[in-house]
Parts: sequence; C-alpha cells; structure tokens
Amino acid sequence: MKYTLFMRKLAVCLMWALAGFAQQGHPLTGTWSGDWGASPTVRTQITFVMNWDGKKVTGIINPGPDSVPIASVFVDVTNWTVRMEADTKAGHIAAEGRVEDIGSYHRTIKGTWHQGAVTGDFRLTRD
Amino acid sequence: MIRIGLGLLALVFMAIPAPAQNGFSATYDPDRQIKLSGAVTKIEWANPHAFLFINVRDTNWAVEIGNPLDLESDGWKRDSIHIGDVVNVEGLLSRGQSKQVFAKSVTLTRTGAKLFAASNKKRIQPPAEPAPRWPDGQVRLGPAPGKTGYWGAASAASLVEHAVPMNAEGILLNLGDADRIAPFLPWAEAIFEYRQRTLLKDDPFTRCLPPGGPRQFQTPHGFQFVEQRQLGRILVLSGGGDRNWRVIYTDGRPQGQADEAVRTYYGSSVGHWDGKDTLVVDAVGFNEKFWFTNGGLPHTEALHLTERFSRPDLNTLKYEVTVDDPQAYTRPWTGGWTVQWVPNQEIQEYFCEEGRS
Repeated sequence: MKYTLFMRKLAVCLMWALAGFAQQGHPLTGTWSGDWGASPTVRTQITFVMNWDGKKVTGIINPGPDSVPIASVFVDVTNWTVRMEADTKAGHIAAEGRVEDIGSYHRTIKGTWHQGAVTGDFRLTRD
Repeated sequence: MIRIGLGLLALVFMAIPAPAQNGFSATYDPDRQIKLSGAVTKIEWANPHAFLFINVRDTNWAVEIGNPLDLESDGWKRDSIHIGDVVNVEGLLSRGQSKQVFAKSVTLTRTGAKLFAASNKKRIQPPAEPAPRWPDGQVRLGPAPGKTGYWGAASAASLVEHAVPMNAEGILLNLGDADRIAPFLPWAEAIFEYRQRTLLKDDPFTRCLPPGGPRQFQTPHGFQFVEQRQLGRILVLSGGGDRNWRVIYTDGRPQGQADEAVRTYYGSSVGHWDGKDTLVVDAVGFNEKFWFTNGGLPHTEALHLTERFSRPDLNTLKYEVTVDDPQAYTRPWTGGWTVQWVPNQEIQEYFCEEGRS
C-alpha cells in the first residue's frame, strides 16, 4: 500500500516535471537524438542539431569528427511534416517525418529514412 | 447563431475573475457548470490559490475559491469558514476527470450567507493629479516622496497590433483573427494557433517561470519601479510570478550585443530619458523559455524590444513596445496598453511556487 502511494506521488511529481518543459521558439531548433534502421533490431544512433535563422533551418548530423551538414530541411507548418536531406559517405539521406507532440519540449519526429539503397524508419526526440 | 454562441462565451469569460497565475481556460471548462453541497473537510489558504475541500456523498471535491490576496482585499479571511460547515457551491467543473471546481459562489447553508463573493465595492479612482516629478522635473515612475503605490491592472489582455475580441487570458474568441494580432511568419502563426487551440496549456508562466518582455507589465499582481538614480538604474519588481526583478540601466552604458549576452528571461536592458516625460528602453538578449505576452505569441532569441514608458498623470502609465524579431515576424510591429496606479498600497506577498500554479 505504501509502495503504491509512493508510486502515485512519484508519478505526480514526474508529471509536473515534464509539464514544466514546454515548446518555445521555432519547433525544430535544438538538439535531437534517436536512431534509424531497416528493422527494429538493427538500429543506428543519430543526432541532429538544428537551428532556425529566420529564413531556413540549417544544421548538422552527428556533431563531431564525422559530422555532415544537413543539405536541406523543408517544413510544412500546416501539418508539421518535415523533409531533411544530407549527403554522407554511406550515401544520400532523405528523411521524411512529422513533428509530434509539438507543445512539448521533448517533442519527437518520426518517419521514413532512406539512405543509399536502404529504407527504414527513424525517430528523433528533442533533448 | 455562431455570433450568439461567441457572445455567450464572452459573457462567461467576463464573468470569471481574471485568472491569477494558472491557465484558467486550460483548467476549467466554462461549458460545465456544476452545483455541489457538502461539509468542509479541509481549508487550504495558500498562495497562489485557496481551496476548500468538501465531502459530497463520500467523494472529496476540491473547490478553488480564488487567490488569498484578492480574497483578503475583499474582506475574507481563513476563518471565514470552519471545518464541518456545510456549503452550497456553484461553479465551473475542471476539464478531464478530476473532482475540482472553480467556485463562482459559496453559500453557507446554515445562515444563507454568501462566502468569498467578490465585493461590489468598486475601486475608487483617485482624483486626477499631475504625475509626480523629481526636483529636476523628470517624471517619477514610482510614488511621490512619502507616499506608496504600485502599478496594477493593464488595460489590454494581450499585446496586439490590431485589437480583436479575446478573453482575459488572451484567448481569441475567433481564431480567424490570428493574423491581425501580429505579422507572423508562417511557423510562428502556426505555433500561436496551436497554443490558442490548446487553451494555453503549455504556458511557462503557469509553471512559475518569469514573465519576460511586455508580459512583465500585465501580470495579475502588478509591478513597481524602483528608481535608483544614484546608481544609474531602475529596478522593475514583479508582484506576481516568482517575485523576481528586472534591471534597466540608465547610466549611459551601451547595449550589449545580443550574441554576447547571457540570454535570460528579462534580457539586457538599457534606458534613457527622451525629454523629461518618456523613458525609452532597449532590450535584447532574451532566451526562448517564456511567452512574452498573454495569449501565446512566440519569439526567438533574436527578439529586440524598444519600450516607451510615460506617465501622463498620477494614475496612468502608458506602455508602448515595438517588437522586432525577424525570425518570428515579417516586420517590426508595435502594441501597448495603459496601466492603472494603485495608490497607498504596496505590492503584496504573492509567490508562485512550482507545482502550485
């Protein structure tokens, strides 16, 4: 019983903590992390850093020695669909997805990932 | 029919006291009226919202009765009601499934006395007097020497370029008016409309985060200027929120470049006097973690405000601000409001605490 009560209180605390981080600024600005893959078991970690300069969204994938610039980002604000493209040693990337839970600081982008000849899915969560 | 519906909705909104710090519309549903009767089991007389808890057929209901500061200014106290008193409550039901009500009236069944009803006493407008001035003729933004007072209610619910019907929280009665509010870039208008459709539920101010930008001058519990001329600065003390302050430097220092500034809720502000009557403030260096006005208008770190404060008479502060944020708006735009002086009083102890918004 005590454990149940504790868990309820913990859940309430977590709820408040999460509720405290709402979306601000341009919805794509920030650091996003997640993975992509052609199957649920074979995944590749990815990190996107994106910024809105008032005219377009720019950014890089996997900041660090192997980073690649994001060549283009197209956002349709009527439904918050996103198309991002980049060129890497492993082939051209074209990722199409939708920004979900847009009111949340930890919003997500989920969709389809094409890299070279491989097609899979991806999921990014804003850090 | 739609017009009648909007009119009724407006009446409901107007019948509701101006919200304290919580997102009223996100919490309570104006279309769900409820009557309850039960014995008081607990009284929580705490900032920012006082609650009664009543037992209704073995179910505990939380009844929000307002802000203790407002209640006390209307003559009510913690011991105006006692545990065990049976009350009738009429109010608005919360959204969702929680047993919570915002009371429009609380009646003590034993005597029929109405409790916690807002008094009908109207704030007496002080007689029009000239604005107080410093010996050199410059207008004072605070009280005259030996007197007290602070700035209270703003005349507008939200910062807008063109006035449109909205409630006290800045929720538009017709979302189709959104493009009259400000010259949004498409993404910013989409975010504004999302915030409006979701009844401002994500408003950082309701989580006790500071109200940066113009919103500092439209919070429910007012604000106060402390002019420290010898130090070359003006402090702006907020009555609501988490009781913090903003510094406006008037010592002639140049404005820091936004890119060099540590981005904060209140940004970096420098001011100068345009003649003896108008304080002009340049503010940059804002973070993106707040909403800069009621109603949910978005901004970015590129936000640049030019604010003009003037005091045409003792009782009136005129506030005008030009918003320049090329990453959120297509061009600079201007809005403003007036603020009413509250004489012979000081800002009261209101403190928004996380989790008790």
